[in-house]
Amino acid sequence: MSTREIFDSRIESGLLLLPTLLVSIVFLYYPTALAVRTSFFDSSFGQVDEFVGMENYVTLLADSGYHSSLLLSILFAAVVVAGVISVSLYLTFLIHEVDTGQGLYLISVIWPYALPPAVGALVFLFIAHPTLGVLTGPVEALGIDVDWFNNGPQAFVVVALAAIWKQIGYNVIFMIAAMNNIPDTLTETAELDGVSGIRRLLSVYVPIMTPTLFFLVIINTIYAFFGTFAFVDLLTSGGPSNATNILIFDLYQEGFSFFNFGVASTKSVVLFLVVGVLMLVQFRVTEEYSYYGG
Amino acid sequence: MTTVTLQNLQKSFGDVVAVNSIDLEIEDGEFLVVVGPSGCGKSTTLRLLAGLEPTTDGRIEMGNRDVTGVEPKNRNVAMVFQNYALYPHMTGRRNITFGMKSSGDFSDAEIESRVEDAAETLDIEDLLDRKPEAMSGGERQRVALGRAIVRDPDVFLMDEPLSNLDAKLRIQMRAELARLHSALETTTVYVTHDQTEAMTLGERVVVMNDGQIMQVDEPQVLYDFPANRFVAEFIGDPAMNMIPVDIENGHAVHDAFTLPLPSGDDSPSTERNGAGDTRISDARHAILGIRPEDFRLSDVQTDDGLPTIDAEVNVREPLGDSLLLHCSIGATACNIQAEPRTEVHAGDTVSVTYDPARLHLFEDKTGEAFYHSGLHLPSDEQVVSQVSK
Repeated sequence: MSTREIFDSRIESGLLLLPTLLVSIVFLYYPTALAVRTSFFDSSFGQVDEFVGMENYVTLLADSGYHSSLLLSILFAAVVVAGVISVSLYLTFLIHEVDTGQGLYLISVIWPYALPPAVGALVFLFIAHPTLGVLTGPVEALGIDVDWFNNGPQAFVVVALAAIWKQIGYNVIFMIAAMNNIPDTLTETAELDGVSGIRRLLSVYVPIMTPTLFFLVIINTIYAFFGTFAFVDLLTSGGPSNATNILIFDLYQEGFSFFNFGVASTKSVVLFLVVGVLMLVQFRVTEEYSYYGG
Repeated sequence: MTTVTLQNLQKSFGDVVAVNSIDLEIEDGEFLVVVGPSGCGKSTTLRLLAGLEPTTDGRIEMGNRDVTGVEPKNRNVAMVFQNYALYPHMTGRRNITFGMKSSGDFSDAEIESRVEDAAETLDIEDLLDRKPEAMSGGERQRVALGRAIVRDPDVFLMDEPLSNLDAKLRIQMRAELARLHSALETTTVYVTHDQTEAMTLGERVVVMNDGQIMQVDEPQVLYDFPANRFVAEFIGDPAMNMIPVDIENGHAVHDAFTLPLPSGDDSPSTERNGAGDTRISDARHAILGIRPEDFRLSDVQTDDGLPTIDAEVNVREPLGDSLLLHCSIGATACNIQAEPRTEVHAGDTVSVTYDPARLHLFEDKTGEAFYHSGLHLPSDEQVVSQVSK
């Protein structure tokens, strides 16, 4: 064998791999395969699964509610990804520029990320609650009538804001590392040349940070599609009038409120494909525009 | 034009004093080199000049304008860094123009013509469309220089710009910098730890140590008339030999030798280094400084009546153009530079003499120079030492 052998016996190495393999198979590969299988069946409680071929897919293709949920999800992901990246970038820049108390600022930016999603959603509920929220008063003082329990677009914005708020910490951790890697002399050269701070951020730092930024775009995209369930569930439950009914919540309801496991599986397969295609496109773009130094 | 004046300039980082009360006048159009060992405060001084570090105390003037608290961008200085500091994702041209375009002080046409001029001066036309990753170290530094000159600054600040280049390229770029300076005549402050660069480039050289200026002078004056032990040992390679002696009646007395110190009663220029000749008549301890090349093997020279000193050769280092002998004179280690191809071997005892016009005496405790036997400074009409004929 040409590969380096670390273990004398195959049994030993196999035993050591077993826990990982077991967990992966039981909780990842088997459910994935089962979901793909179930997407071709009519499946629910108290009945034997019945093979229906492509019927579930055809149903979704014709379901206008599902179409709007799909579009809503893409819009939601776009808003969340753009919001997270730009806000995190700006906060990172401010933290990078400040001379004292960097650690304190970092901690305060990162802590929402350290909360479990459900706790984060509840905390945000008390920040933005239409009557009790700590931010509601100041926002209403600006002349905005905070009523996102009934107002669809407002609900969308609130859920997006919560999702952004939660994810900033994660992004800042990576961005501050990338930004601190940029040689000080570039900053100093820019300062001597009279380049403004924002210009320095956008024209010098961002291009050099592109590998990190593209990585974060991909992570944030996955987060926006899959990781935001708790916010929708706890803040709006998809409402009002499906204004926040993004795919991940929609398929959860299909499966666990309406117990249409077949259709729910179909929806998760579609979601998987949508995100997969997006990843592919993003990786292509990464190759094209990323600067990997020299 | 732009003279730069530093008054009582100080910079501390916490308890560490990096720059300790510096006073310095840099003349308009001068090429001033600041040299010193690592951590002597030379780079900090340059950064204070650029405004990249706030001063702790003191005052910086440029062209009679107080710039002490002024933002870097408003000082009209350009800086060249050791690591080039080129924006890695921009082409050579964009690197050069980015600052000018961002500051908005220049029209596009003006920028264009200035880039062309700078590119021609530095011979970098073919680098303008390349990114730094496709350039060699020397090419990068040339582009960085282009970025500095294109803005036509009042002062160039150069922080070890040649230190990342290989030896051959360094010598080539050194000559180019000298040519560039004579063409532009912009006031330049150049920081380096390399004394050869300091000597070759500087119209005047500032030697710094521990945040203080040890001496400011023309290169040859630094070499011939070091103001203290630090300058004597720092400038010159191999370094000056330092031999503890007793001064008795105009003689330097060591365990292994006694040599007469030429008296300089009639020379006014001794004042320059505060040396009066009463100082070699009183008995005291001192450090005798003799450069390796000022020793001669006496058997290859004609005898000129000078005392000879016996030295035991420990190590023999042929340098090609000369032969460096690591010797012991009595208990004192001493380097002696001899003619190349001299038949001397480790373990031999050689008899050496010295150039009596090139002796230096330093205070035992403070290290201050109080006597140089070559009394006439190069700035005087003729360079004659008292004893040589």
